[in-house]
Parts: sequence; C-alpha cells; structure tokens
Amino acid sequence: MNKVDNEPSRSKWIEWFNPQGRNLEGITFSLNRITGLGLTLYLFLHLIVLGTLARGANAYDNFIKLVHNPFFIFGEFLVVAAGLIHGFNGIRIVITSLGIGVPTEKRLLVVLMAIALIGTLIFAVRMFTA
Amino acid sequence: MANVTLPKGVSAPKSGENTWLWLWKLASGPLIFILILIHFAVNHYLGSNGLLSYREVLSYYSNSIVPVMEGIFLVVVVSHSLLGLRSVILDLHPSRSLLRAIDWIFLLGGTAAVVYGIWLLNVIVASIPKG
Repeated sequence: MNKVDNEPSRSKWIEWFNPQGRNLEGITFSLNRITGLGLTLYLFLHLIVLGTLARGANAYDNFIKLVHNPFFIFGEFLVVAAGLIHGFNGIRIVITSLGIGVPTEKRLLVVLMAIALIGTLIFAVRMFTA
Repeated sequence: MANVTLPKGVSAPKSGENTWLWLWKLASGPLIFILILIHFAVNHYLGSNGLLSYREVLSYYSNSIVPVMEGIFLVVVVSHSLLGLRSVILDLHPSRSLLRAIDWIFLLGGTAAVVYGIWLLNVIVASIPKG
C-alpha cells in the first residue's frame, strides 16, 4: 500500500492536528473530522439527557433551567457551529464526489464556509440573548 | 485491483469501507443537513425562553409529522455518525479482528440508540394531552 509522508498511523495519530504544510483542503478535511467527532459525542450525550423527558415536566424543565447558563449555552453554540461547518463541508464533498465543481472547489469551499459562519453568528445572537 | 487515480477532490470508499456503506454515509449527509437545520431552528427559535419547555415539546410533537421526521432523523444521524467514526478508525489501519469487533460494537450500540430513541418518541407522543 502506498503511504504518504503525513498519513496518520497508530503511532503518528497526533500528526492529524499538525497544521504545518497543509493546504486548504487538508485543513477542511481535519476540520470535518474534528467537528464530526464532536457531534458524534454530543449526539449520544444528547440522547441520554433527553431521557429526562420520560420523567415528566418537572424533571425536564429543571434540566432546561440547569443548562440555561453561559457555560452550557457556549457548549450548544459550539454544537451549532460544528453542525453548520460539518454540514456545509459535507455538501461540498457530496457535490465534488459527483464530479461537479471540482475545478472550482476552493471557491466553493470558501463560499460554503462563509455561509456556515454567517449561520453560526445568526444562531449565536439568538442563543446568547434569549 | 487496478490503481485508479481519482480527480483531486473526489472522494471514494477507502480500503475496508464497503461501497454501499460509503454511499449511505454520503447520501445521508444532505438529508441530515436539512433535518438538523429544522431541529436547530425549532429548538432555538420556537422556545419562549431559549430552549423548548416540556409543554412546548409536547405541543411541537402534537403535529403528527414531527415524530415521524424525528424518527427518521434519529436513524439517519446515528448511522451517519457511526459510519463516520468508523472511517476515522480505518485511517489508523486497525487489524481485521479489531475492525470486526468495532463493527459489532457500533452495530449493537447504534441499534440500542435507535431503539431507545424510538421508545422515547413513543413516550413523548403518549404524554400529549388529548383534545
């Protein structure tokens, strides 16, 4: 199997997080991985805490009161940001995997990440002012 | 297998990744994206105080389309996330036996998550006041 110099291995996994020598596509690949891992972790935590819905109104509303503080709101903001970044980057991957827009991929990437950033800011305003 | 050089930017299944699973991971992404935008908007904009209260959750779920949509979202997002996690693990070139063990853990864990989520959906729908 051909191995490239910076291909991660069990002993070199930390190289995933080294931005040196990486181009834009490499950075967005890493960003997609990081946001995906974060969202996966959040998904299973989210399913667990939603169990409070099965314990009735008091349990769930008390949980909502608990998370209505800046620490948790910031955490939720990161989830929304990760979802938008991962989602828009994923759209780019699907489009280019179908062979569409490959020559203009860099421009497509910049546009989609800008939309993700705008979306994140819109949600941030709502989340931190509600 | 012949070596094929793909155009730059075009992804493909990697070694150890079944083509159908890769295709499902790719196809489920856009569907999840639409559903997650709805999910984010509902949970952060419909609530009177930021997030939805228990009563607001029941009111939202009283529309019969919502439990179906959330059920589909659950199945698709659990499978997409575990397939993505599997892709990350494949980059570490695990042994065949380790990969098989991981596959079973993900299959059982994913199934448990979906069964639990559907049970929770049923509990929520059953809690909606009649009339």
